[in-house]
Amino acid sequence: MSNAHSRHYLMIWIWLLALVVLSVAAASILPKTQALVLIFAVAILKALLVARNYMHLKNERAIIYAMVLIPLTFVIILLFALFPDFVYRG
Amino acid sequence: MNADTATMSDTAVPPGKTGTWWFLASEIPVFGGLIASYIVVRLGSAGWGEASGHLNFSLALINTFLLLTSSMTVVMAHAAAQENDFRRVANFLGLTVLLGLGFLGVKAVEYTTEITHGFTPAAGIFWSFYYGMTGLHALHVLAGVIANTVLWIGALRGTLARHGHRVELAGLYWHLVDIIWIFIFPLLYLA
Repeated sequence: MSNAHSRHYLMIWIWLLALVVLSVAAASILPKTQALVLIFAVAILKALLVARNYMHLKNERAIIYAMVLIPLTFVIILLFALFPDFVYRG
Repeated sequence: MNADTATMSDTAVPPGKTGTWWFLASEIPVFGGLIASYIVVRLGSAGWGEASGHLNFSLALINTFLLLTSSMTVVMAHAAAQENDFRRVANFLGLTVLLGLGFLGVKAVEYTTEITHGFTPAAGIFWSFYYGMTGLHALHVLAGVIANTVLWIGALRGTLARHGHRVELAGLYWHLVDIIWIFIFPLLYLA
């Protein structure tokens, strides 16, 4: 196994752990709303780090991106489609 | 093989990988729907913060560490498979299996404590979501542990060398399980 690959994977792991620490710190230090924004931005960043580096999505073809992005788009549409249900209920 | 066929096979995504990504794509609506419903119901209801306060944050943090580390070990196994170093593949797959079992063990302790304190799936909507989301995720972890164990045995016996690409496919699935936890952890334990 090439050392360059191992080092890269280890660096990503350290970043992932550092981001966990950041989330936990944000939850205990920041006001609720700011903390939530940061926590979920960090979660998205962590997911992207895993997908792009460990799942090698950054080297994959467009068809693989399409397979992931299409269902993901539907889930986001579902989330926003459900929002009015509680917004208008008060 | 003529020139056209050779070009096609060089550029196409291998069938095993395409199939695995199709499967992973089908998991997105399963967990995405569950997570979207949780967010909507949580935003529309009061008192959820108090319920989530009964969860064991420290154990969840340990599990986050175990799962993130197992993602690193499984990608190391994949890298070793590409180098045809199947002794290292066996070592990293063995570590991945241990970390996965560790995750399930910690989750079992967490469930036991919660259920003994009366927080069963019937204790309220928060707990229904909690057991639904983490239970479905734990079943996925269990499936990943079984798949990685089969590959680990193959690596030890020397039979995996003919099917080295399977390490990558099992790894892809394992990373998805990790990504799902990356979202479940803040939703249940931090938000």
